[in-house]
Amino acid sequence: MKYSRVYFDDVKVGDELPPLVKDPIQQIQLTRYAGASGDFNPIHQDDEFARAAGMGGVFAHGMLSMGFVGQLVTDWAGPGAVRKLGVRFAAIVRLKDVITCRGRVLGKSSTDDVNLVDLEIWAENQKGEKVVTGKATVSLPTRT
Amino acid sequence: MPSQINKGVIGKESPPFVVTVERGKIKEFARAIGDDNPLYLDDRVGQASQWGDIIAPPTFMTTFRDGADSAAFLRELGTDISRLLHGEQEFELHRPIRPGETFTCRSRVLDVYEKTGRSGPMAFVLRETLVTDTTSELVATIRHTTVIRL
Repeated sequence: MKYSRVYFDDVKVGDELPPLVKDPIQQIQLTRYAGASGDFNPIHQDDEFARAAGMGGVFAHGMLSMGFVGQLVTDWAGPGAVRKLGVRFAAIVRLKDVITCRGRVLGKSSTDDVNLVDLEIWAENQKGEKVVTGKATVSLPTRT
Repeated sequence: MPSQINKGVIGKESPPFVVTVERGKIKEFARAIGDDNPLYLDDRVGQASQWGDIIAPPTFMTTFRDGADSAAFLRELGTDISRLLHGEQEFELHRPIRPGETFTCRSRVLDVYEKTGRSGPMAFVLRETLVTDTTSELVATIRHTTVIRL
């Protein structure tokens, strides 16, 4: 089941999140993301502009890739579970790139009624190069 | 000779701006990412959930922008949009947000520094935005590092 519930009790340090493989990046997705996010930097839309800027052609919004790793985390922990999501944009994502998001459990902590799980998260392209690296913290329910 | 970045912006606070979360915008944003989670897209699933409505994806607050201010800010820094890359981004989220909620965003520049990387000299601009709700409760802290190719 795609959105099965994860309980704090069942999570172990070192556990891996189910990988999330996104469809190949297409220009239309960058255009949709520009409209949805309000980031209309032409460097993501206009190949001539991107070349003139020395970037060798259009590339994806970093925030789109961060949205992908956000989805990796919420597919596993549930939307609304995310307390912290932080990333570094390590490499440019190009048209036709296939992005796979991955994550693993770094640690667990409980204080009062809050149960937090720290995750290492990253996204890589079809060549295995990391394009995003980061960390997330989610709050999970307990079985009891 | 690389261009100079105006470090005088360190500590500068932008004028606060107010945003109201639109239901359609949450759905548009989730679909643009290709995330079809029903808690973002299906009002009935949202109503039946613990939040009583659909909620926004964790990176949704990137839509909280003050367009007029960001153009002015680039001019003040001494650069333009073609030189920008996104370096780092962090969201600290204290609770999920729902359609119809109104928030105030207050941004300030925490730091500006220069470094030479593999692809030449670059400046880094670190900004923080505090997002508060109508009861002045802190809902999120957003940290954003912009890289400027000099």
